Amino acid sequence: MASRPTVSIASAEGKPTGATAPLPAVFTSPIRPDIVQQVHTGLAKNKRQPYAVSEKAGEQTSAESWGTGRAVARIPRVSGGGTHRAGQAAFGNQCRSGRMFAPTKVWRKWHQKVNQGQRRFATASALAASSVPSLLFARGHRIANVPEVPLVVDSKTFENAAITKTRAAIALLQALGAGQELVKVSKSRKLRAGKGKLRNRRFRQRRGPLVVYNPETDGKELVRAFRNIPGVETSSVFSLNLLQLAPGGHLGRFIVWTSSAFEALDTVYGTTTTPSALKKDFLLPSNLVANADLARLINSSEIQSVLRAPKGEARTKRTNVQKKNPLRNKQVMLRLNPYAAAFSKEKLGQKPVEAGKPESASETFLNTLYEE
Amino acid sequence: MAAERSNVSNDLIWQLTRTQNAYLVKRNSGGGVQFSRDPLNVLNKHSFKYAGYANTKAIGVQATEDGGVVAVTKKPGTAQQPAKSLATVTYGPNASNRKIYKGVADRTAKYGYRADLREEAVARVSALRRTQKPKKDTPARKPRGAQARKAEQESA
Repeated sequence: MASRPTVSIASAEGKPTGATAPLPAVFTSPIRPDIVQQVHTGLAKNKRQPYAVSEKAGEQTSAESWGTGRAVARIPRVSGGGTHRAGQAAFGNQCRSGRMFAPTKVWRKWHQKVNQGQRRFATASALAASSVPSLLFARGHRIANVPEVPLVVDSKTFENAAITKTRAAIALLQALGAGQELVKVSKSRKLRAGKGKLRNRRFRQRRGPLVVYNPETDGKELVRAFRNIPGVETSSVFSLNLLQLAPGGHLGRFIVWTSSAFEALDTVYGTTTTPSALKKDFLLPSNLVANADLARLINSSEIQSVLRAPKGEARTKRTNVQKKNPLRNKQVMLRLNPYAAAFSKEKLGQKPVEAGKPESASETFLNTLYEE
Repeated sequence: MAAERSNVSNDLIWQLTRTQNAYLVKRNSGGGVQFSRDPLNVLNKHSFKYAGYANTKAIGVQATEDGGVVAVTKKPGTAQQPAKSLATVTYGPNASNRKIYKGVADRTAKYGYRADLREEAVARVSALRRTQKPKKDTPARKPRGAQARKAEQESA
């Protein structure tokens, strides 16, 4: 890479301040949806709480099988009399009021270990994807009015707890062109289908921008300012979470960086050659191909110069066309019969037979033939 | 974009998003036909060629509320600046169809933009203009048979 691209830093009004920051190396890491999805599946399981049916459910009766000879199935039956329950089958998973099949246990394997290297790779990959506007659009973010992606806001905006009120936070996001995104989120709020309504997950809604800050310089007051805006989440640059960077395993979350958080990225993730200052034994993953642009690779002079010329002539294959009669259509005849051109040019079809008409047989011959 | 990021290209973006993206409309009807809601897709068809978000150059044609047509193109080289990346030309409701065709065809095919989309873009303008025509009322039904005779008698 000849020169590292830079990203301009926006002021609180959404205008460029004139200052720029070099693009941190983490944004050039490979974008690997397979790794991100796999890691996301694992990490998403780590917030689960154990549940199970009661150990006793369906087992709280002293039923015994009646054995053979009474013309009923040998399933355990509730003993005694005087109630409808007596004589009813019990225990089996097929029985009414029986235990379930394979009762769930609290010691199910709820959590998933995901290797640290994979987690870091996935995070770097998700960060790289968050800097590609096309992927943000494809994820559904409304970023058409955003001045630049990655979107970096000057940290001066947050200095000395400048943004503590939600009203100020909303105004900031709107100035940065994220107003449509906030509208999209608040309009998307829907009542959840199913039992989740009763379990403190009453509504579902889209995710909006993720505000990433540096707690050392920006302070933590902004968290309170942003936390009541629907869909907006905040995260410290030192503890980025894949579940926020790629919700649902889908790449391309819209991220609003504070400038100090953006500049801290190189210390957090390092580069492909210098190890990270904060993560032990971590080098950013490098791309397998230096240039991901296939069309440019194919059309490069290096490739084109070693390719042989295409065989055959340039001809479009015609499908679904009427078949032409070569005897009537000269062009079709010429295509089918290479000799046809010479044949018609020489007017061979019109020429009289060279030797003239055959002579009629002589009389003596005929006489001999008929033996008259 | 490709100039700025070595790890991203249009082909890669398409491969990342072809199975699922925000614009994609999947239906089981019609043999599992797949459409796109991308405003920069001239055919509303889910394919790399027509995917506006995945191509550096793309054209979108939409109807405006006042009965005109708006043509939107992407400016190559501004992929990282979404706010600056679209060029819009609006044709009013009184613009002639041929002028709009010409304008859209030129913007699509000239200067090495996207000659492969010209026909579709013009066809879309044509389709939009057809929908914008005022709807004619169906003519009143002529009386036939006994009704016709009765009407004739009354008038006579």
